[in-house]
Amino acid sequence: MKTQQFDAIVIGGGHNGLVNAAYLARAGLRVVVLERRHVLGGAAVTEEIYPGFKYSVCSYVVSLLRPEIIRELNLARHGLEILPLESTFTPLPNGDHLVRWADHDLTRREIYRHSPRDAEAYDDFGQLLYRLAVAVKPLMSMIPPDVASLHPRDLAGTARLGKYFHGIEPSTFYALHKLMTMSSADYLDEWFETEALKATMAASGIIGTFLGPRSPGTAYVLLHHYLGEIDGAFRAWGFARGGTGAVSEAIAAAARSYGASIRTEAPVAQIITRGDRATGVVLADGEEIHASTVVSALDPKRTFINLIEPSALPSEFRAAIDNFKIRGSSGKVNLALDALPEFTCLPGTGPHLRGAISISPSVDYLEHAYDDAKYGAFSRRPYMDILIPSLIDPTMAPPGKHVMSLFVQYAPSDLVGGWNVQKREQFGDNVIDTLSEYAPNIKDIILHRQVLTPWDLERDFGLTEGNIFHGELTLNQLFFLRPASSWADYTTPVRNLFQCGSGTHPGGGITGAPGRLAAQRILGSRWT
Amino acid sequence: MTTYDAIIIGAGHNGLTCAAYLGRAGFRVLVLERRDIVGGSSVTEEPFPGFHIDTCAHRIHGLHPSVTQDLSLNNHGLEIQHPSSCVYAPNLDGPPLTLWSDPARTTAEIQSFSSHDAQQWPTFVTFMAVATRFLRTMYDHPPIQAPRPKMEDVGTLLRLARRFKNLTKSDRIALLRLLPASIADVVDERFETDILKGALGAAGINGIMQGPMAAGTAYTFLHTHVYSPPGAIRATLFVRGGIGGLATALTSAAKRFGVSVRTGAEVQNIIVKDNRAVGVALAGGEEITARYVVSNADPRHTLLAILDPANLAIGDTRKTKEIKFRGAVAKVNLALAERPEFVGASDEERLHGTITIAPSIDYLEHAYDDAKYGKPSGELFLDITIPTLTDRSLAPNGKHILSATVQYAPYHLKNHSWNDDTRDTLGNHVVETISQYAPNVPSAVLHRQTITPFDLEKDYGLSEGNINHGELTLDQLYFMRPIAGWSRYESPIRNLYLCGAGTHGGGGVTCAAGYNASRVLIKHAKSG
Repeated sequence: MKTQQFDAIVIGGGHNGLVNAAYLARAGLRVVVLERRHVLGGAAVTEEIYPGFKYSVCSYVVSLLRPEIIRELNLARHGLEILPLESTFTPLPNGDHLVRWADHDLTRREIYRHSPRDAEAYDDFGQLLYRLAVAVKPLMSMIPPDVASLHPRDLAGTARLGKYFHGIEPSTFYALHKLMTMSSADYLDEWFETEALKATMAASGIIGTFLGPRSPGTAYVLLHHYLGEIDGAFRAWGFARGGTGAVSEAIAAAARSYGASIRTEAPVAQIITRGDRATGVVLADGEEIHASTVVSALDPKRTFINLIEPSALPSEFRAAIDNFKIRGSSGKVNLALDALPEFTCLPGTGPHLRGAISISPSVDYLEHAYDDAKYGAFSRRPYMDILIPSLIDPTMAPPGKHVMSLFVQYAPSDLVGGWNVQKREQFGDNVIDTLSEYAPNIKDIILHRQVLTPWDLERDFGLTEGNIFHGELTLNQLFFLRPASSWADYTTPVRNLFQCGSGTHPGGGITGAPGRLAAQRILGSRWT
Repeated sequence: MTTYDAIIIGAGHNGLTCAAYLGRAGFRVLVLERRDIVGGSSVTEEPFPGFHIDTCAHRIHGLHPSVTQDLSLNNHGLEIQHPSSCVYAPNLDGPPLTLWSDPARTTAEIQSFSSHDAQQWPTFVTFMAVATRFLRTMYDHPPIQAPRPKMEDVGTLLRLARRFKNLTKSDRIALLRLLPASIADVVDERFETDILKGALGAAGINGIMQGPMAAGTAYTFLHTHVYSPPGAIRATLFVRGGIGGLATALTSAAKRFGVSVRTGAEVQNIIVKDNRAVGVALAGGEEITARYVVSNADPRHTLLAILDPANLAIGDTRKTKEIKFRGAVAKVNLALAERPEFVGASDEERLHGTITIAPSIDYLEHAYDDAKYGKPSGELFLDITIPTLTDRSLAPNGKHILSATVQYAPYHLKNHSWNDDTRDTLGNHVVETISQYAPNVPSAVLHRQTITPFDLEKDYGLSEGNINHGELTLDQLYFMRPIAGWSRYESPIRNLYLCGAGTHGGGGVTCAAGYNASRVLIKHAKSG
């Protein structure tokens, strides 16, 4: 069975696949997006698992969605509305708390309460990181060069990279070098003394990665917060009205407006190759779709191990993909609540519940959580990043009721003895027990609970090993090494096959950047 | 009063190397050593009558070849021993493993554990030789001034570019991935045998407050191999007569070039006039002037203790304070009545190199887990040598010396401090640990010397007991060593130079730092 001809097929209707499709369609290509599930969005979905309550099932905040994408694809016109998250509230076991507010003066006063020295340092720190974010920003929108190649075309790319570094002020360069190579705990130790402050900041460096706050290579994620700031886009973290799925819906609407076809429940079983090039895909039901360009938004393991004949790939590349680290480290719990949680340390339903709630009382707490995971157990006392989206967007739950999203770390993909339904519920119980130490009423107000372990993330959302970033964001898996050197520019060893998922530069999070850069690369190669 | 061209503070191996080269270039040089013997941390002492013990450093991995040659150290009594065994790794849960200096012999040995690993071994050895050769090009010259290289860097840049170009593309890629990797990832990608992975992983954490799963530990591994004999992994070399023989030979060579060496001469202060070092003041009040002052002491001790920090700009003081030292290593030296009998060591030859107690990566990581919360490891990682097996001159007839590097013994203890009690507890723990592998050791102990990180600081002048004058981690290497902007052996004070292990090339007994420092200084002196 053969259907209509397309210029490009995009495998996977996650946000990056959709961004990629939108840009290709906008350039005039006939594009079809093939999504395995019945909903679009991949890990950026909103689903009504429990009647009346909308969960942002997996990804729950919009971080760093590139402003150029919002602009170029007119996402606002297609329904995207991002609501700012006002604060980060860290409840502490000793009955105290730390809140960082959107309001700078409030935050300063709050930090001062814990440590006058830290309040002082907080501004200097912010200024330095802002400076570093400005310096690093061009890299976010650069197609990584192949620095291992001596081909003149690649040398030009390496030279551009060299020129970029040459242009950085030495003191900024050194600070950047430290930030890239240090652990977030060490980096923050140079600035602050308040445990809760250091831990809550360090926590952002470990999200989605199988590392602890004392692991080198975690500090650079501190930049994310400030990268958001220079975009002028609602600081780093926002929440999409209608849940994260609304982001995907808006991008899909943009893609459709440029003429892209989008098919759900169309799982791709195989990429068809002829000779050294990709010519189309076969769906699970046998349907073949042909196109001169095939783009995969899936993670590198899924794309290159599951969808392609091994013989179509050079053995060195296969080895590189085998060695690509993709251990999942996190789980997700979604709750439907009858009422709001009451935190012992800060009772009432004040504004502190309208932002992120971070269970990260100390760096040691996070590090201990990591210790459990290193040896294959889920954390006895996990780090949690919690949101109550219904407080920001009342449409997420029936009146008076609420939804709560808990990002939980660590939940190792390679749990000793393996994951099963029982272990999943134990994991869920453990999350609730941990939260109840800070908000004792939580157990009484739960109407429904959805627990996602790395096992579920892999099975339901196609994330290999449950890794939310399509591959760990460690130093040797970034930029021109993501997912493999020589193939970090969105091309693959198979001609006409491209990649555009979070497994490519600049990696995970709802940035849309890989999708956009891949489109640039594809369109560039078509015209040259 | 004589005035000198250069005063060297500290007669460690790097200070003496630098002194000898300066003398050779016609400088009038005075070396001032606080202790009564030369050698710094590479000394052979006689703490117990008849036992000549390498109290701190007890083995080398290879010396800078130019130093041995240029200074004719062999004519000054230096004799390096190359045992056929590099590492013997005993194992409570299985057979022991020996890594030999002959790769073919090692392959045969590994074959009995895993034919997969045996097959991988020659490739691993070859690749490590490629990687260390590349690094050697970096180590033989002062660091390039990133991000904006200067004219004097052009030679090094070209040499590095040529080296890089001469690698195969797959080696280039592998090297790029290797440098920021963790040693655990490096060995996990290649091998499956725990005891092999542990024995290799041990070299990645030597002297640092990180576990084998930390990014950058692959580099630490490479660092110890830069001047190693090609083909040997974890080569263990000895100086005949004890490691102090190196300092003795260097002193003798230096004196031939007219260098004066004074022991028992503690420098209390570096005299600065108009932001320029002009001499030193000794503890007794004596002042000695010189055109250049070169410090072999670690950067923090030099810039914040010997130098009056009031001479430094605030930014430089801060950077110096931020250098991570946090010593992780203690040393236990035993005088034994008989030869230690390691269970499973079928012949003595296996024990001639390092005996490493590191049965698996997890074992090492667990050891680190304790240390990161400020406790000595519950199960210790030990690197043991029994130099008397190959050099009978070191102990009375029939008696033996056992020397053990002990990790982790964190300088910063939580809830405790290093004192006579904690020192004794550690010493007992080390003997207990050894007794599991060599049961006759406890009853054979005639004398025991335990040197904690605190003792290393107090007695040997190592800040926070760090044996490498600052951690060898990614953020403190190359152009970041010892502090950003001052990586070329110069310091913020004009005519004050650094030549110790805290500078590029340093860490371990190779003499590379002293060699590079001397060349920079000679060049500066010539150009006025």
